[in-house]
Amino acid sequence: MFRGNRIFLACVYWAFVLYVFVPLILMVVMGFKDSKFIGFPIRSWTLDWYTGVFADAAVLSTFGYSVAIAVLSTLISIFVGTWIAVLLEGRRFWGRTAVFGMTVLPALVPGIISAIAFRIYARWLGIEPGMGAIVWAHAVHNVPFVVLVVMARLSTLPKSQIEAARDLGADPLISFIRITLPYLVPAILGASIFCLLLSFDDFVRSFFLGGYEPTLPVLIFAKLRSGMSPEINAIATVALVLTAVIGIWAERFTRRMNKET
Amino acid sequence: MTVDASAERDRRSMSKPDGDRTFWGRLAGWGPYHTLMRLATASPRRQFLILAVIPVLWVLTQHLGPMLQMVIVSLTDAYPVAPGVEQHFTLDNYSRFFGDSIFWMPFFRTLIFAGVFTFCTLIITYPVAYFLARHVSRKNQMLFLLLLLIPFWVGEIVRTYAIMILLGNTGAVNLLLKTLGLIDRPIPFMYTSFSMGLGIVYLTALYMLLPLYSALEKLPKSMNEAAADLGAGAWTRFRRISLPLTIEGISSGCTLVFLISTGFYATPVLLGGPSTTVFAETIAGFFHAAGDEWPTGAAFATIMFAAALVLTATFQKLMSALRKGEKK
Repeated sequence: MFRGNRIFLACVYWAFVLYVFVPLILMVVMGFKDSKFIGFPIRSWTLDWYTGVFADAAVLSTFGYSVAIAVLSTLISIFVGTWIAVLLEGRRFWGRTAVFGMTVLPALVPGIISAIAFRIYARWLGIEPGMGAIVWAHAVHNVPFVVLVVMARLSTLPKSQIEAARDLGADPLISFIRITLPYLVPAILGASIFCLLLSFDDFVRSFFLGGYEPTLPVLIFAKLRSGMSPEINAIATVALVLTAVIGIWAERFTRRMNKET
Repeated sequence: MTVDASAERDRRSMSKPDGDRTFWGRLAGWGPYHTLMRLATASPRRQFLILAVIPVLWVLTQHLGPMLQMVIVSLTDAYPVAPGVEQHFTLDNYSRFFGDSIFWMPFFRTLIFAGVFTFCTLIITYPVAYFLARHVSRKNQMLFLLLLLIPFWVGEIVRTYAIMILLGNTGAVNLLLKTLGLIDRPIPFMYTSFSMGLGIVYLTALYMLLPLYSALEKLPKSMNEAAADLGAGAWTRFRRISLPLTIEGISSGCTLVFLISTGFYATPVLLGGPSTTVFAETIAGFFHAAGDEWPTGAAFATIMFAAALVLTATFQKLMSALRKGEKK
């Protein structure tokens, strides 16, 4: 019935796919170009830029630094986020809407403003710029996403299981650990991966709260300000492959877990 | 007291099925833990308060705290306060904004750019979301969506850099146009509002796509078919059915994208030129310059946040009024 429409819309979709993929593919390809100059035409190829990146101790330590920040901030946001979700989903109480509004606030504040607010707040609290400050800012920023994901899962929790556990003598804490928490595992894992990716890729908070040691996006940004080079392509490509692989794996993993339960 | 004791005996015997005690059963029966839990859960009210204290403290100190502190600092004349200097409250930081076009020009530019980019994102992603929700079979839907999700997991800086490579003077777009014989010298795409727009649309498209997709997915197929049977063309069906029924998705997508667009710092720095300085760069300037310019930076950030909130709130009001009007 809507054949003409359908073909037109399919064209738009595939054009959009091209739009989001082509820049990334070009970037990867340029990393293999045997010249310091970024651009077409490519006459000869090389692996030097990639091997150079893996031999560069500074890049590797930046990489490890970014991963450590991502892991630490994710652990904090998962703990706090799950707690807030349990409170908000548990029952209606006075001020619930206000608490919920404040909970999602960091997700809605534009990046630059949240970065600056944290910079000022960190100074007030006496936290020096550096790893601690970045971990803290990322953790706070990621909490709303954890809360939303965990709340969605909690709303489908079969209440009868909790009641059964309580009837059998389990106190609220034990019934939470043995019934609710296992039920939340898929949501928590999904949210963790999301937080890891958000934190690993975050630029603006890392930039304003960082000390002398840069995270990976900050390093790429600093290098870019002094000009494009195939070395940046190689670093960016490694970051890209890593995020894409983790993302795809997580997607499949959470889907499978959601199907099972 | 006796009633309490017998209730407790009942409780303990329940968690102890015939001699075989699990770890949890033993924990529940363990004296100190038991006393603690009984104290904590003595009344639903107390149990609730204990549950609520950490989340509420976190939200107040971590989510609200930084914003409040920013507003407070924006009203002072010196921050961080040097020893021996007294801090005064003042509105000077705000009046500074209106005094110089170097400050308010980027501000209005940012709001206008964000509005235009949001509109472009909506125009681009609506057909994509429509195709995904209405024309792709349920089995393939996840696959098609995943194809779009993958590039969006990649961070802001990497994707901005990818756009730089695409649009450079020797980049792919210029190469393509040259091969087609449309141009003989490269078009300078980079460092213009165009390259910045392309980059920002690229960065925010997903935040528009997902709300639109979920709104369109809820739309019953039968409505479109009925309208088609009654002779409505594609445009009429879109205007009279799809658009009004997905206004909620449009409004939440636009709000998200607008707020995010105003907050970009690195992308305008890398993709924009001198004539496209955005307010984020102005604000950042106060924090990178040595000295006590922080209060001014805080005031400017507060102005921007307030403006963004007022604009999006007005927009949402408008959209919901539109929705109510359609229902009548």
